[in-house]
Amino acid sequence: MKLNDIQARCDRVPFFRHLGFSVTEANASQFVARMPFEQRHIGNPVIDTYHGGIIASFMEAIASLTVLDDVQSPPPKPINLTVDYLRPGLPGTLNTRATITRKGRRMASVETVAWLEDEEKPVAKGLFHFLLV
Amino acid sequence: MSDTKDEERFAMIANVWNSRAKGLISEMDLKIERADRQGVEIRMPFNPDFCLDEEGTMLHGGVLTALLDSAFGLANFLAIDDVQTMATLDLRVDYLRPASSRTDVMVFADCYRQTRHIAFGSGKIWFDTGDRKEVARGSATFALTRGNGSLLDKMKTGGPGG
Repeated sequence: MKLNDIQARCDRVPFFRHLGFSVTEANASQFVARMPFEQRHIGNPVIDTYHGGIIASFMEAIASLTVLDDVQSPPPKPINLTVDYLRPGLPGTLNTRATITRKGRRMASVETVAWLEDEEKPVAKGLFHFLLV
Repeated sequence: MSDTKDEERFAMIANVWNSRAKGLISEMDLKIERADRQGVEIRMPFNPDFCLDEEGTMLHGGVLTALLDSAFGLANFLAIDDVQTMATLDLRVDYLRPASSRTDVMVFADCYRQTRHIAFGSGKIWFDTGDRKEVARGSATFALTRGNGSLLDKMKTGGPGG
């Protein structure tokens, strides 16, 4: 899949526009994306950090893209997710790498990591299951 | 703490939580319908910006996750008297049905167990359609700090960056 085609697809999804990310790498089993910090992403009004749900949504969005067969495929159906929050989601551009752990005919499992400056210091990690049929 | 005092405290927290909302919480336009130690019930109006498609027929699952996370925060706030800070440790969500409705979204969340350092929460989401069929369920754990100078005081005074 070409980055341009993927971005065009994402731009047609209202909630993806709300998140405002761009995909920077798209390989067969791995996608990387970045999301600039916006006021509308704030979760904690006292310290202006990312909302945990925004971090989870960003990771889910990128995870859902990795399992597409091609850029025209219907979106996979999310089954469930688990997110570990490891460090404060301080204001700044958030990055996500989503890697397919296993993709069968019916099910896919994708793991994700989100970080601010240093991938070795993740803000959150996630595990997402999708139904492909 | 007497019941009346409890009620006053709950009303104050709900009021502060509403009035100090910013970022995603204000985008979601949440309305607290019930808030006490036993749990919170919050209403989120349908919002096409949170959809997967331009026609606005299906909410993105991530919105439900964000809604649960927000409700857990308020439930902890109400249930834990001396909470100073809380940080989400982990969040698990099961998507039980497609989120295909244009009606208001309802969420219930409660803090069903608290220790000195940890709070455990559970919650569920349904559309306000009458049959109350669950669309999602979630659970989360939170790391707490407790003490004087509560979160409520910080919320009231604004705090850094607020």
